[in-house]
Amino acid sequence: MGGFLISMQLQDKYRIALLSAYAIALHGFESLLPTPIPWLKLGLANIITLIALLLYGIRVAITITLIRVTLASLFTGTFLGPAFILSLGGGVTSTLSMWFVLSISPGLLSPIGLSLIGALFHNIAQLFLAYFLFIQRIEAILLISPVIIFIGTLTGTVNGVVSGILLKDLKKADKKIQNENKSE
Amino acid sequence: MNLKNLFEGTTKADRILFIVLIFLSFSGIVFMKEVLPEGKTVRIEVNGHPVYLLPVEKDRVVSVDGPEGETVIEIKNHKVRITKSPCYNKLCIHQGWIESGAIVCLPNRVVITIGNHKENPPIPPFDKGGDGGIFDIDAVTG
Repeated sequence: MGGFLISMQLQDKYRIALLSAYAIALHGFESLLPTPIPWLKLGLANIITLIALLLYGIRVAITITLIRVTLASLFTGTFLGPAFILSLGGGVTSTLSMWFVLSISPGLLSPIGLSLIGALFHNIAQLFLAYFLFIQRIEAILLISPVIIFIGTLTGTVNGVVSGILLKDLKKADKKIQNENKSE
Repeated sequence: MNLKNLFEGTTKADRILFIVLIFLSFSGIVFMKEVLPEGKTVRIEVNGHPVYLLPVEKDRVVSVDGPEGETVIEIKNHKVRITKSPCYNKLCIHQGWIESGAIVCLPNRVVITIGNHKENPPIPPFDKGGDGGIFDIDAVTG
Protein backbone atom coordinates (compact mmCIF):
# COMPACT_ATOMS: atom_id res chain seq x y z
CA MET A 1 0.00 0.00 0.00
CA GLY A 2 2.89 2.36 0.83
CA GLY A 3 4.62 1.73 -2.45
CA PHE A 4 1.32 2.19 -4.19
CA LEU A 5 0.83 5.59 -2.60
CA ILE A 6 4.36 6.74 -3.45
CA SER A 7 4.13 5.57 -7.02
CA MET A 8 0.89 7.46 -7.41
CA GLN A 9 1.13 10.66 -9.29
CA LEU A 10 0.67 13.90 -7.44
CA GLN A 11 -2.32 14.65 -9.63
CA ASP A 12 -3.92 11.39 -8.52
CA LYS A 13 -3.47 12.37 -4.89
CA TYR A 14 -5.30 15.66 -5.42
CA ARG A 15 -8.09 13.89 -7.25
CA ILE A 16 -8.41 11.27 -4.54
CA ALA A 17 -8.45 13.90 -1.81
CA LEU A 18 -11.06 16.02 -3.55
CA LEU A 19 -13.33 13.17 -4.61
CA SER A 20 -13.04 11.49 -1.19
CA ALA A 21 -14.16 14.72 0.42
CA TYR A 22 -17.19 14.84 -1.89
CA ALA A 23 -17.96 11.19 -1.22
CA ILE A 24 -17.71 11.61 2.55
CA ALA A 25 -19.94 14.68 2.40
CA LEU A 26 -22.59 12.80 0.42
CA HIS A 27 -22.29 9.74 2.66
CA GLY A 28 -22.72 11.92 5.75
CA PHE A 29 -25.56 13.90 4.24
CA GLU A 30 -27.34 10.69 3.35
CA SER A 31 -27.09 9.34 6.89
CA LEU A 32 -28.85 12.49 8.11
CA LEU A 33 -31.82 12.06 5.79
CA PRO A 34 -34.87 10.51 7.39
CA THR A 35 -35.89 7.37 5.51
CA PRO A 36 -39.24 5.64 5.63
CA ILE A 37 -37.54 2.24 5.94
CA PRO A 38 -34.31 1.84 7.92
CA TRP A 39 -32.35 0.00 5.25
CA LEU A 40 -33.43 2.27 2.41
CA LYS A 41 -30.42 4.27 1.30
CA LEU A 42 -29.88 6.36 -1.78
CA GLY A 43 -26.22 5.41 -2.21
CA LEU A 44 -25.31 8.92 -3.29
CA ALA A 45 -21.61 8.28 -2.66
CA ASN A 46 -21.76 5.79 -5.52
CA ILE A 47 -22.05 8.78 -7.87
CA ILE A 48 -18.54 9.84 -6.86
CA THR A 49 -17.18 6.29 -7.10
CA LEU A 50 -18.61 5.90 -10.59
CA ILE A 51 -17.24 9.23 -11.80
CA ALA A 52 -13.82 8.42 -10.34
CA LEU A 53 -13.89 5.01 -12.02
CA LEU A 54 -14.82 6.40 -15.42
CA LEU A 55 -12.44 9.37 -15.35
CA TYR A 56 -9.42 8.07 -13.45
CA GLY A 57 -9.68 4.29 -13.27
CA ILE A 58 -10.05 1.58 -10.67
CA ARG A 59 -7.11 2.57 -8.43
CA VAL A 60 -8.54 5.99 -7.72
CA ALA A 61 -12.09 4.62 -7.39
CA ILE A 62 -11.23 1.89 -4.89
CA THR A 63 -9.01 4.23 -2.84
CA ILE A 64 -11.84 6.73 -2.61
CA THR A 65 -14.26 4.00 -1.56
CA LEU A 66 -11.94 2.79 1.22
CA ILE A 67 -11.27 6.33 2.47
CA ARG A 68 -14.95 7.21 2.33
CA VAL A 69 -16.15 4.14 4.21
CA THR A 70 -13.46 4.42 6.89
CA LEU A 71 -13.71 8.16 7.52
CA ALA A 72 -17.50 8.37 7.29
CA SER A 73 -17.80 5.56 9.85
CA LEU A 74 -15.35 7.35 12.14
CA PHE A 75 -17.40 10.54 11.88
CA THR A 76 -20.71 8.82 12.54
CA GLY A 77 -19.23 6.60 15.26
CA THR A 78 -19.89 3.26 13.61
CA PHE A 79 -16.26 2.32 12.91
CA LEU A 80 -15.75 -1.48 13.01
CA GLY A 81 -19.44 -1.94 13.92
CA PRO A 82 -22.01 -3.89 11.87
CA ALA A 83 -22.90 -0.85 9.76
CA PHE A 84 -19.21 -0.34 8.94
CA ILE A 85 -18.73 -3.96 7.86
CA LEU A 86 -21.83 -3.83 5.65
CA SER A 87 -20.76 -0.49 4.22
CA LEU A 88 -17.23 -1.70 3.49
CA GLY A 89 -18.33 -4.98 1.91
CA GLY A 90 -20.99 -3.27 -0.18
CA GLY A 91 -18.74 -0.41 -1.28
CA VAL A 92 -15.79 -2.56 -2.32
CA THR A 93 -17.92 -5.18 -4.10
CA SER A 94 -19.88 -2.51 -5.91
CA THR A 95 -16.75 -0.69 -7.09
CA LEU A 96 -15.07 -3.91 -8.24
CA SER A 97 -18.20 -5.11 -10.05
CA MET A 98 -18.52 -1.84 -11.99
CA TRP A 99 -14.83 -2.00 -12.87
CA PHE A 100 -15.16 -5.62 -13.96
CA VAL A 101 -18.06 -4.89 -16.32
CA LEU A 102 -16.32 -1.78 -17.62
CA SER A 103 -13.05 -3.60 -18.33
CA ILE A 104 -14.53 -6.66 -20.04
CA SER A 105 -16.69 -4.61 -22.38
CA PRO A 106 -16.18 -0.86 -22.32
CA GLY A 107 -19.05 0.97 -23.94
CA LEU A 108 -21.57 -1.79 -23.37
CA LEU A 109 -23.19 0.07 -20.51
CA SER A 110 -23.63 3.79 -20.02
CA PRO A 111 -23.15 5.32 -16.55
CA ILE A 112 -26.77 4.39 -15.81
CA GLY A 113 -26.17 0.71 -16.53
CA LEU A 114 -22.93 0.72 -14.56
CA SER A 115 -24.71 2.35 -11.65
CA LEU A 116 -27.34 -0.40 -11.79
CA ILE A 117 -24.59 -3.05 -11.69
CA GLY A 118 -22.98 -1.26 -8.76
CA ALA A 119 -26.25 -1.01 -6.85
CA LEU A 120 -27.08 -4.67 -7.51
CA PHE A 121 -23.73 -5.98 -6.29
CA HIS A 122 -23.72 -3.58 -3.38
CA ASN A 123 -27.01 -5.09 -2.24
CA ILE A 124 -25.99 -8.68 -2.93
CA ALA A 125 -22.79 -8.24 -0.91
CA GLN A 126 -24.68 -6.65 1.96
CA LEU A 127 -27.32 -9.38 2.00
CA PHE A 128 -24.59 -12.04 2.08
CA LEU A 129 -22.75 -10.28 4.87
CA ALA A 130 -25.95 -9.71 6.81
CA TYR A 131 -26.77 -13.40 6.50
CA PHE A 132 -23.37 -14.76 7.48
CA LEU A 133 -22.56 -12.27 10.21
CA PHE A 134 -25.77 -11.02 11.75
CA ILE A 135 -29.12 -12.50 10.84
CA GLN A 136 -28.60 -16.15 9.88
CA ARG A 137 -32.22 -16.63 9.02
CA ILE A 138 -32.33 -17.52 5.37
CA GLU A 139 -36.08 -17.00 5.03
CA ALA A 140 -35.80 -13.45 6.33
CA ILE A 141 -32.99 -12.69 3.86
CA LEU A 142 -34.86 -14.30 0.96
CA LEU A 143 -38.01 -12.38 1.80
CA ILE A 144 -36.24 -9.05 1.91
CA SER A 145 -33.86 -9.59 -1.08
CA PRO A 146 -36.25 -8.82 -3.95
CA VAL A 147 -37.52 -5.69 -2.19
CA ILE A 148 -33.97 -4.44 -1.63
CA ILE A 149 -32.93 -5.23 -5.19
CA PHE A 150 -36.02 -3.43 -6.51
CA ILE A 151 -35.29 -0.29 -4.48
CA GLY A 152 -31.62 -0.58 -5.48
CA THR A 153 -32.62 -0.59 -9.14
CA LEU A 154 -34.59 2.64 -8.69
CA THR A 155 -31.91 4.46 -6.69
CA GLY A 156 -29.23 3.05 -9.01
CA THR A 157 -31.01 4.58 -11.99
CA VAL A 158 -31.24 7.97 -10.29
CA ASN A 159 -27.55 7.87 -9.35
CA GLY A 160 -26.64 6.80 -12.87
CA VAL A 161 -28.58 9.70 -14.37
CA VAL A 162 -26.86 12.17 -12.03
CA SER A 163 -23.45 10.63 -12.79
CA GLY A 164 -24.12 10.89 -16.51
CA ILE A 165 -25.00 14.59 -16.26
CA LEU A 166 -21.97 15.35 -14.10
CA LEU A 167 -19.64 13.44 -16.40
CA LYS A 168 -20.92 15.30 -19.44
CA ASP A 169 -20.38 18.65 -17.73
CA LEU A 170 -16.95 17.64 -16.46
CA LYS A 171 -15.84 16.56 -19.93
CA LYS A 172 -17.16 19.80 -21.39
CA ALA A 173 -15.27 21.82 -18.79
CA ASP A 174 -12.15 19.75 -19.39
CA LYS A 175 -12.28 20.40 -23.13
CA LYS A 176 -12.72 24.11 -22.51
CA ILE A 177 -9.64 24.19 -20.26
CA GLN A 178 -7.60 22.26 -22.79
CA ASN A 179 -8.62 24.59 -25.60
CA GLU A 180 -7.68 27.61 -23.51
CA ASN A 181 -4.30 26.08 -22.74
CA LYS A 182 -3.69 25.44 -26.43
CA SER A 183 -4.58 28.95 -27.50
CA GLU A 184 -2.22 30.49 -24.96
CA MET B 1 -33.76 20.03 -19.43
CA ASN B 2 -36.48 17.60 -20.37
CA LEU B 3 -36.81 13.98 -19.41
CA LYS B 4 -35.40 12.67 -22.65
CA ASN B 5 -32.10 14.46 -22.13
CA LEU B 6 -31.66 12.72 -18.80
CA PHE B 7 -31.59 9.30 -20.40
CA GLU B 8 -29.59 10.35 -23.42
CA GLY B 9 -26.70 8.04 -24.10
CA THR B 10 -28.24 4.96 -22.58
CA THR B 11 -27.41 1.81 -24.48
CA LYS B 12 -29.61 -1.13 -25.32
CA ALA B 13 -27.79 -3.17 -22.69
CA ASP B 14 -28.72 -0.53 -20.10
CA ARG B 15 -32.40 -0.87 -20.86
CA ILE B 16 -32.28 -4.65 -20.92
CA LEU B 17 -30.47 -4.66 -17.57
CA PHE B 18 -33.04 -2.30 -16.05
CA ILE B 19 -35.99 -4.35 -17.28
CA VAL B 20 -34.39 -7.64 -16.15
CA LEU B 21 -33.73 -6.24 -12.68
CA ILE B 22 -37.25 -4.87 -12.29
CA PHE B 23 -38.75 -8.11 -13.59
CA LEU B 24 -36.58 -10.29 -11.32
CA SER B 25 -37.28 -8.29 -8.22
CA PHE B 26 -41.01 -8.13 -8.89
CA SER B 27 -41.30 -11.85 -9.53
CA GLY B 28 -39.08 -12.41 -6.50
CA ILE B 29 -41.47 -10.44 -4.31
CA VAL B 30 -44.47 -12.40 -5.59
CA PHE B 31 -42.62 -15.73 -5.36
CA MET B 32 -41.46 -15.17 -1.80
CA LYS B 33 -44.95 -14.22 -0.69
CA GLU B 34 -46.32 -17.44 -2.18
CA VAL B 35 -43.64 -19.79 -0.95
CA LEU B 36 -42.77 -18.65 2.52
CA PRO B 37 -45.13 -19.05 5.45
CA GLU B 38 -46.34 -15.79 6.85
CA GLY B 39 -45.68 -16.92 10.39
CA LYS B 40 -49.29 -16.56 11.40
CA THR B 41 -50.37 -17.99 14.70
CA VAL B 42 -53.62 -18.96 16.32
CA ARG B 43 -54.07 -17.56 19.78
CA ILE B 44 -56.64 -19.02 22.11
CA GLU B 45 -57.69 -17.05 25.14
CA VAL B 46 -59.95 -18.22 27.94
CA ASN B 47 -61.30 -15.72 30.42
CA GLY B 48 -58.85 -13.10 29.13
CA HIS B 49 -55.82 -15.30 29.62
CA PRO B 50 -53.86 -16.70 26.68
CA VAL B 51 -53.84 -20.47 26.86
CA TYR B 52 -52.56 -21.59 23.49
CA LEU B 53 -50.38 -20.03 20.81
CA LEU B 54 -50.23 -22.38 17.85
CA PRO B 55 -48.80 -22.17 14.34
CA VAL B 56 -51.59 -21.97 11.76
CA GLU B 57 -49.71 -24.34 9.42
CA LYS B 58 -49.98 -27.33 11.71
CA ASP B 59 -53.29 -29.18 11.72
CA ARG B 60 -54.48 -30.14 15.17
CA VAL B 61 -57.46 -30.26 17.49
CA VAL B 62 -57.28 -28.75 20.94
CA SER B 63 -59.78 -28.40 23.71
CA VAL B 64 -59.93 -25.75 26.39
CA ASP B 65 -62.03 -25.50 29.52
CA GLY B 66 -64.06 -22.36 30.02
CA PRO B 67 -66.53 -21.40 32.73
CA GLU B 68 -69.35 -23.28 30.95
CA GLY B 69 -67.39 -26.35 29.94
CA GLU B 70 -65.22 -27.74 27.17
CA THR B 71 -64.69 -25.92 23.86
CA VAL B 72 -63.05 -27.90 21.05
CA ILE B 73 -61.07 -25.97 18.42
CA GLU B 74 -59.86 -27.42 15.15
CA ILE B 75 -56.99 -26.05 13.04
CA LYS B 76 -56.84 -27.37 9.50
CA ASN B 77 -55.47 -26.06 6.18
CA HIS B 78 -54.52 -22.69 7.72
CA LYS B 79 -58.12 -22.28 8.92
CA VAL B 80 -59.67 -22.44 12.35
CA ARG B 81 -63.13 -23.33 13.64
CA ILE B 82 -64.86 -24.30 16.84
CA THR B 83 -66.34 -27.79 16.61
CA LYS B 84 -67.79 -28.21 20.07
CA SER B 85 -68.99 -25.63 22.53
CA PRO B 86 -71.11 -25.80 25.68
CA CYS B 87 -72.80 -22.43 24.98
CA TYR B 88 -76.53 -22.32 24.25
CA ASN B 89 -76.73 -20.40 20.96
CA LYS B 90 -73.68 -22.02 19.26
CA LEU B 91 -72.89 -18.80 17.38
CA CYS B 92 -69.22 -19.63 17.51
CA ILE B 93 -69.78 -22.97 15.79
CA HIS B 94 -72.02 -21.39 13.16
CA GLN B 95 -69.28 -18.93 12.29
CA GLY B 96 -67.48 -21.86 10.70
CA TRP B 97 -63.94 -21.75 9.32
CA ILE B 98 -62.00 -18.53 9.57
CA GLU B 99 -58.73 -17.68 7.83
CA SER B 100 -58.15 -14.41 9.58
CA GLY B 101 -59.80 -12.32 12.25
CA ALA B 102 -61.38 -13.88 15.30
CA ILE B 103 -64.00 -16.21 16.71
CA VAL B 104 -65.46 -15.13 20.01
CA CYS B 105 -67.59 -17.35 22.23
CA LEU B 106 -68.90 -15.00 24.88
CA PRO B 107 -70.74 -17.51 27.11
CA ASN B 108 -67.69 -19.70 27.49
CA ARG B 109 -65.26 -16.73 27.45
CA VAL B 110 -63.20 -18.19 24.59
CA VAL B 111 -61.50 -15.84 22.13
CA ILE B 112 -59.60 -17.21 19.14
CA THR B 113 -57.58 -14.85 16.97
CA ILE B 114 -55.42 -15.44 13.90
CA GLY B 115 -52.57 -13.03 13.37
CA ASN B 116 -48.92 -12.29 13.88
CA HIS B 117 -48.77 -12.66 17.63
CA LYS B 118 -45.44 -11.65 18.97
CA GLU B 119 -45.49 -12.92 22.54
CA ASN B 120 -43.90 -16.15 23.68
CA PRO B 121 -46.18 -19.17 23.54
CA PRO B 122 -47.52 -20.53 26.82
CA ILE B 123 -45.65 -23.61 27.93
CA PRO B 124 -47.71 -26.68 26.88
CA PRO B 125 -47.64 -28.81 30.07
CA PHE B 126 -49.57 -26.15 31.93
CA ASP B 127 -51.85 -25.03 29.16
CA LYS B 128 -54.96 -26.74 30.48
CA GLY B 129 -54.78 -25.28 33.92
CA GLY B 130 -58.40 -24.39 34.57
CA ASP B 131 -59.45 -20.92 33.59
CA GLY B 132 -56.09 -19.30 33.33
CA GLY B 133 -53.35 -21.62 32.14
CA ILE B 134 -49.83 -20.84 33.21
CA PHE B 135 -50.56 -17.19 33.60
CA ASP B 136 -52.29 -17.80 36.88
CA ILE B 137 -49.54 -19.91 38.33
CA ASP B 138 -47.25 -17.97 40.61
CA ALA B 139 -43.66 -18.91 40.33
CA VAL B 140 -42.27 -20.20 43.58
CA THR B 141 -38.53 -20.36 43.72
CA GLY B 142 -36.18 -21.18 46.48
